Amino acid sequence: MDDFQTGLVELLPRLRRFARILRPHDADAQDLVQQTVERALASRRGFKTGTRLDSWTFTIMRRIAIDDGRARQRWGRVLTPEDEATARVPDAAQADEGLRADARLVRDAIHALPEDQKHAVALVLVEGLSYAEAAQVLGVPAGTLTSRLVRGRQTLMQTLAEQGVTG
Amino acid sequence: MNIDDETLMRWTDGELAPDAVARLEAAARTDSALAERMATARRLRAATQAAFLVQVDPRDRDLSRLIANGGHVRAAPLAGLKAWLSQALAPRQAPIWGGLAAAAFVAGVLIGPGLNSGSGIRVAEDGVLADRDLVKVLDRRLASEGADNAGRAVGLTFQDGEGRWCRTFQARDDGLAGLACRRSDGWTVQALAPLSSPMGEVRTASSDTPAAVLSAVDALIAGPSADAVTEARARDEGWR
Repeated sequence: MDDFQTGLVELLPRLRRFARILRPHDADAQDLVQQTVERALASRRGFKTGTRLDSWTFTIMRRIAIDDGRARQRWGRVLTPEDEATARVPDAAQADEGLRADARLVRDAIHALPEDQKHAVALVLVEGLSYAEAAQVLGVPAGTLTSRLVRGRQTLMQTLAEQGVTG
Repeated sequence: MNIDDETLMRWTDGELAPDAVARLEAAARTDSALAERMATARRLRAATQAAFLVQVDPRDRDLSRLIANGGHVRAAPLAGLKAWLSQALAPRQAPIWGGLAAAAFVAGVLIGPGLNSGSGIRVAEDGVLADRDLVKVLDRRLASEGADNAGRAVGLTFQDGEGRWCRTFQARDDGLAGLACRRSDGWTVQALAPLSSPMGEVRTASSDTPAAVLSAVDALIAGPSADAVTEARARDEGWR
């Protein structure tokens, strides 16, 4: 494998995490990761060596998620009870029940944010990108990114404080 | 000191200039309300990160192989199947799958040991089984005959609501079990799942069949499954 391929393999856990934010249902998230990997491989000539592979790949994933989201709106979403069940797969990494319950509340609160705020929160708070990098991934000016982040955070704080998570 | 939310946020995210950080932290030492806001902002960030931990996922190994192949998806035996699956399960087509437990079905296909061995079953993009040996087994083999030399065997045989013949199968060497129904142009895969554990001998009892496949059977079966006589007659009539 060359550096690009190695980098992509190393990124997989983070891609999966980002996908889980964009798509709460496990099967949808898996689908999104798969499509992102395939598109990244197909368009690797578009990646400039020396730039950040994570930002580049997150950009691809986000674009697929947006296109896919539009298709979903057109065709409607068919939810099955199994979808709900897989969305509730317990977090083996978090043994403590209280922590797990809190983590679920936080996940639900993030999933409930408007799309643009959710993407900003995911990139900065979860993925740890700088504001400049996140703005680039989202294709928006820095000021737009910060205002989405502020609004998203205010909503999260309010929601979670009401539930006693961060308060 | 009057601190707006954006400044507080920048401080939490490490996006505040060093001199502004110093001023803010100095102010917090004498302003307990500000200190509390800062602590809350930090807790939110920590809680967000804790909510989405990076986790090891068995499916990443499969993707790693795809990446190592440079994205030559058709070279991998299961890639065509995956493409077909994602298309078949796309939201616009979901109603077609009706009673099929779509999520359990997907999980069954994509999670499991059978997919990491480099083996697999070839399926055309329209879902028609393209694996010649397995097609032969589905066409000719009776449940009572057990497995062939590569561990391919059929289990239940039944008709769905449209009168199509459907058969569950196992392919031990490929580590997969599934359900296929007969159409004019061949056997269409309805469900596929990894076998949970390697078995010395493939038996035909449905208890050996993964839950995802059994769910698909439950969703499709109309009436009882075929007994040995009915199965043999259906085979001799070419599954019409």
